Amino acid sequence: MTDIERRHWLRALTALPPETLAAVAGELDAGWAMTYKTRPQAGLGMLQLRDGALHEAYYLGEFPLAHCWLTLSGPDGESYQGAAQVMADDPDLARALAVLDAVLAHRLPGWERVSELVETGQAARAEEDRIRARILAATRVDFTLLSATEAGDDD
Amino acid sequence: MGYVAIKGGGRAISGAAGVLEFLRTRQGESGQPLDVHTIHHQLSLLESRVLSEGGLYHPELAALAIKQSLGDTLEASFALRAYRSTRPRLVETPLLDTRDMRLIRRISASFKDIPGGQMLGPTTDYALRLLRFELIEEDRSAFQAFARSWLQEAPPADLPDSFPKVLDSLRQEGLLPPALPPRPLSQGGRGEQPFDITREPLIFPVPRSAALATMARAETGSLLAIAYSNMSGYGDVHPTVGELRVGYVPILLAHPVTGELVEAGEALITECEVIAMYEAGDDGAKPAFSVGYGACFGHNEVKAISMAVLDRALQKGVKHGASNPSEDPEFVLLHVDGIDSMGFASHYKMPHYVTFQSDMDRLRTTQKKLGERETS
Repeated sequence: MTDIERRHWLRALTALPPETLAAVAGELDAGWAMTYKTRPQAGLGMLQLRDGALHEAYYLGEFPLAHCWLTLSGPDGESYQGAAQVMADDPDLARALAVLDAVLAHRLPGWERVSELVETGQAARAEEDRIRARILAATRVDFTLLSATEAGDDD
Repeated sequence: MGYVAIKGGGRAISGAAGVLEFLRTRQGESGQPLDVHTIHHQLSLLESRVLSEGGLYHPELAALAIKQSLGDTLEASFALRAYRSTRPRLVETPLLDTRDMRLIRRISASFKDIPGGQMLGPTTDYALRLLRFELIEEDRSAFQAFARSWLQEAPPADLPDSFPKVLDSLRQEGLLPPALPPRPLSQGGRGEQPFDITREPLIFPVPRSAALATMARAETGSLLAIAYSNMSGYGDVHPTVGELRVGYVPILLAHPVTGELVEAGEALITECEVIAMYEAGDDGAKPAFSVGYGACFGHNEVKAISMAVLDRALQKGVKHGASNPSEDPEFVLLHVDGIDSMGFASHYKMPHYVTFQSDMDRLRTTQKKLGERETS
């Protein structure tokens, strides 16, 4: 099983195509009775930030959000919860992610496939992080070099 | 005012829509419909304007809005804001901090050696404002190969996930005013709850959180114009950019099952903190620099800087009274929204036949009376 913490699963999984997630979730939820604590729904979230100058709270604006919170129940009466809140307009994506969350968190049949998806998605995210780091590294200003060659201060 | 029903208006209106579509597509067989992903990548700064002025961080729909509005930022922002008005509000994030931004750009005009260093990132600041004529006939294969080769040549980097704020170090030295504790509800404040401009009307005076939210989705040019009035002499902010950063803020929400904060996605934002003239502290406290703050969705540095200047100007206006338009919260906040002001300007195109007829009647009567007085 992946050693990536549950709180990072969603970021990893959303690096993958939604069709892939839907296909795997569709196979893994077969045979379970599904009930919703929060039905799949798409809408908006409001982003609340702390301002960097005086540290007051304010709202920067809204973002698309889909969410779902479900329970998978087996024939033996055991039930397992999974949930997802994702920046997207697609309630089906939220539902698929909630299924994958439940399957992996409780090691339900097929959890290994979800674990692999998380690892694959995590690698994709890491690559994006590396690109951003290269953007920074390629444009880092070397003021030390500047001061060594020029005596004057620049305004 | 009266209204007059006329025939044929509907046909003219649908005809106008057809003409717009004709002009959009008349490039003919050599034309290609604009792909929203192309807009996202190649017109990213235009998309940024629409994201922030629409008040909704939805890059795909912002690109669509740009496409359907033929590049008109006001119309595109209007379409995005109209879309958001049809959607239910599901959640609000906990109070998030931009210290956790995944940066792609970070500069300071206050110090050369800021902790973590300065990184220019993607910027036109140092580009020559000369037209690159080679882009008219851009080579497709070279275009497609550039990103790949850039990545291969870019130096590998071992950088931290986040960088400290420049203002934090100044605050630790006692050079900045202390952070404002939220005023509790029992003292007439809003507690931790910020003002939600999408649900409450601006009835003055409004808290600073209302000003920040209003300016965050303001029209860039409007914000710049009023901020520029302050910079050019109708005000006294004289800002120094303490830090300007561009990067991705993780949108964190509590997992319904575990309660842990989970990243639902990320939003590109631009953030600017300016340091302005120092002033005496309240109740005999030591003097400290004053500060201003600006932020918006997307990459839009002129907007973030303008907002930071105006935040500082408005603080002065609230505290000591407004001496200039840019220090008057009512003047600034009621005139910077692009959708509002565009709507009002555009409404003058609508028929005013009856009111104008009334104006003409009064003018004729006045002229007639004046003529009679002159001849008598």
